[in-house]
Amino acid sequence: MYKKFMYVCKANEAISISKTIIMKNSQLYKGSLNTIIMKLLEEKGRMYGYEITQKVKEITQGDLNITEGALYPALHKLEAEGLLDVELEKVDNRLRKYYKLTEKGTTETVNRLAELEDFIKNMQSIVNPKLSY
Amino acid sequence: MKLDEKQIDQLYLFTRQHFVEYYDLQTELVDHLANAIEAQWQLAPNRSFDEALQIEFKKFGIFGFSDVVQERHVALEKKYRKIVWSHFKTFFRLPQIIGTFSAVGILYLILKISIHREIVFISILTLLLVFFFVELVGNAKKRKKKNEETGKKWLFNEILNGYGQGSGFMFLPLQTFIQFRNFFNDDLILLGGSFLLISLALIHYIVLVIIPSKAQSYLKETYPEYEFAN
Repeated sequence: MYKKFMYVCKANEAISISKTIIMKNSQLYKGSLNTIIMKLLEEKGRMYGYEITQKVKEITQGDLNITEGALYPALHKLEAEGLLDVELEKVDNRLRKYYKLTEKGTTETVNRLAELEDFIKNMQSIVNPKLSY
Repeated sequence: MKLDEKQIDQLYLFTRQHFVEYYDLQTELVDHLANAIEAQWQLAPNRSFDEALQIEFKKFGIFGFSDVVQERHVALEKKYRKIVWSHFKTFFRLPQIIGTFSAVGILYLILKISIHREIVFISILTLLLVFFFVELVGNAKKRKKKNEETGKKWLFNEILNGYGQGSGFMFLPLQTFIQFRNFFNDDLILLGGSFLLISLALIHYIVLVIIPSKAQSYLKETYPEYEFAN
């Protein structure tokens, strides 16, 4: 799990990933969906919904699949909380909605990533405790 | 291979047929479906538009787009409540606070010196109720006309102009409040009742007058596509 989160959060470093890490319990990821979105937006500047799903799939080589039914509610919630702002552009006969972090969103991303890393470290300690004699 | 304009229109129709009646959500879902279909065509160029669309729609799960619509509603209602609260707070800041407390004081004095204070209280409450329904019906008519003119419905516009419906329930606690046995004899409760009545009037004024009058600027702020579409 630790590996999976770090791959998502450090997108540029995520070139190889163990295929043995399979998303067995989506509940474990649900709480981190917002953080994943915010981290991606922090790196890319602005992204649209479909692009986010594809980017996550690409980074995790298909292991982590953000469903459409989860992505848009998460984006809309973050937008309503003032963490994301939207921009619109006409692309190929249609309108495309881009999301980007607001100033508040950028600060919140740093906080949430720190919280997530703490959580991962703690979980790691519990799952693989270093026994001391 | 890219989708043509006719296919984009078909996607708009598809979202409407699947109970997405708001243009803002339709636009986002249309782009999503279009991207996904184009991605499918890169791998399977012979796949038909309808087949590719059905494959993508299935990915939204058994409830289709309804989760997305419902969650968007929740998110925008939250935003709306924040707007109402921010307006309400301005009535408790200088200089408006002087007017607010003066109104509470005047209402208290009127009730205090009235022989039939129950009748005065109930009359004010009834007036508020009438004002509430008149404004609500008026706003609904304006909104319907605008929707018919543009052919587009905006979720936040519905909330901004129609959420006043919810404030009608605020009469309920007040009606419970007046059931207190000593309500019209106890000074402190009378003052509390005056404060509650003025607060109620303020909320109705915010919900039914102030916010609908600023609806255009809230819509432009919420939807960058609003200017494209109107």
